[in-house]
Amino acid sequence: MGIVKGDQMILNMGPQHPSTHGVLRLKISTDGEIVSNIEPVIGYLHRCFEKHCENCTYEQVIPFTDRCDYIASMNNNFGYVVAMEKLMEIKVPDRVEYIRVIMAELNRIASHLLALGVYGLDVGAFTPFLYMFRDRERILDIFELTCGARLLYNYMWVGGVSHDLPVGFVETVYGFLDYFEPKLKEYNEILTYNKIFIERTADVGVLPPEVAISYGVSGPNLRGSGVKWDLRKDEPYSIYERFDFDVPVGEGTIGTTGDCWDRFYVRMLEMTESAKILRQALKDLPQDGDVHQALPKKIRPPKGSIYQRTESPRGDLAYYIISDGSPQPYRLKMRSPAFTALSVLNEISRGWMLSDVIAILGSLDIVLGEIDR
Amino acid sequence: MTDNLEQLIKEAVEKALEGDMDAINNIEDRVTRSKAKAALVKAKREAAKEKPEVSSDESDSNQDSAKIKTSNENIAELIIQQFPEDINKDLCSEGHIQIHPKNWMAIAKYLRDDPACLFDSLQCITGVDLGEESDLEVRYNLHSMTHLHAIEVRITCSRNNAKVPSVESIWRIGDWFERETYDMYGIEFDGHRDLSRILLPEDWEGWPLRKDYDVQETYHGIVVPKVKEGWE
Repeated sequence: MGIVKGDQMILNMGPQHPSTHGVLRLKISTDGEIVSNIEPVIGYLHRCFEKHCENCTYEQVIPFTDRCDYIASMNNNFGYVVAMEKLMEIKVPDRVEYIRVIMAELNRIASHLLALGVYGLDVGAFTPFLYMFRDRERILDIFELTCGARLLYNYMWVGGVSHDLPVGFVETVYGFLDYFEPKLKEYNEILTYNKIFIERTADVGVLPPEVAISYGVSGPNLRGSGVKWDLRKDEPYSIYERFDFDVPVGEGTIGTTGDCWDRFYVRMLEMTESAKILRQALKDLPQDGDVHQALPKKIRPPKGSIYQRTESPRGDLAYYIISDGSPQPYRLKMRSPAFTALSVLNEISRGWMLSDVIAILGSLDIVLGEIDR
Repeated sequence: MTDNLEQLIKEAVEKALEGDMDAINNIEDRVTRSKAKAALVKAKREAAKEKPEVSSDESDSNQDSAKIKTSNENIAELIIQQFPEDINKDLCSEGHIQIHPKNWMAIAKYLRDDPACLFDSLQCITGVDLGEESDLEVRYNLHSMTHLHAIEVRITCSRNNAKVPSVESIWRIGDWFERETYDMYGIEFDGHRDLSRILLPEDWEGWPLRKDYDVQETYHGIVVPKVKEGWE
């Protein structure tokens, strides 16, 4: 940061600050109340994920992926097993594919509910947070019913899933959807079109599409800037090509395209789309089939490497796996979407007020576990 | 919301669908105006949905995947033509190209700007240690949002003098990805504005993801636990 000019002040936000969603420190240079530069300092949650993986067998990596993005663990498992299955050329039964999609979309809704609720909290709306956590709780209950865990599941395995669906699962999820879909209208009334919320987020922190692409921003943040890009549609993996759903993009409905409100609203619309996918998946879910049928006895992928991307709730989640033919990965790299999203913070917050930085940071929906790995 | 407002929005949307956007833009209250805009978008979407498009979608995606396959080989060809001296043809395969570090900046610029390539998005930078006695490697995964094709670029550098030109100014995300690779492998990216550790503390010793890495015994008086090998 170097020499501080006369009117400048350096302000440390974090590492312990409620709006940093984890342990993040922002070194903010301010001129009065205007932000002139932000330097994110990360690494407080670094747990040597990639180093650990080189000393584990391939199965043992899965619980570690849970702990990277602990808000959307199912999606992290999903990305890893999709990459491994492609590397080993395993074909999993249809029933497993459907179960995985159901879990991934449920987790996407849960993750977005947390992101939106906490975002409301960041900009000063306490009530929506309680509403959204109340509903997220129901999804966690469904996960608990399925695999016994509420946050870190270790549910998807290479070639299958750990448990078959429990009795009455389909009805429970239908019940949840019937309950949840009308609630979206409620969220819109309580938060989305709230006048104060709009004042805090519309036109704030505009992220132009070409900047977003250059910074590798992906997922809802990129779509908020008006770029129609969703790996589930554009590079379908698993069985996503079988479902009919839309890819919502930011349209500048209230302010400018790519502002905080757009990023927020894209997530809101995505929950509807996830519910749509869920209904189709539940309808087509094959009744029979052994979920352990395709599990390999020993995971020993052939020599080679793979780069596989999947769409996590935060964006392009990719694994780069290099195998040397042994039961342990030679190299495993995780490309996390939140890492790239945080790197753009400085670019879009310069010139805004200090209090807007909280709104911009919250709208990027970062999870520090995934950034630091 | 009162019935009155709803009526107002409905009328404005109907007028806008006929091409008169002023009906919406003239609404004074910001919230009502945005609601009207949202309703308009919804109405347009529903109108678009009525046309059957599912079948055409499927054929499109098939064409795309065919396009990706052909263009991958073409791009390797293009670069070989453009920069014949910088490419190591023996080590190139279908999915990746192997280049020498010297001219990487120029090649990267070409890859981003040439109308046939247009790799506007740097997906990932992965460092690899090829073995305790051999070299280090940096792998770049590039993707084009326009042409929907992807390519992997690999650059090898020696273990003792690990230097690769920085592409931070070409793809902005290169900044953090290169810092991460430096942090884990000690590969220096020439031309990077602020090459410092990103995930580990600044005074950490050694490059953890190199295969010959030894953990330091203590850090500021704290005993550093050893990584267990061969967990069962």
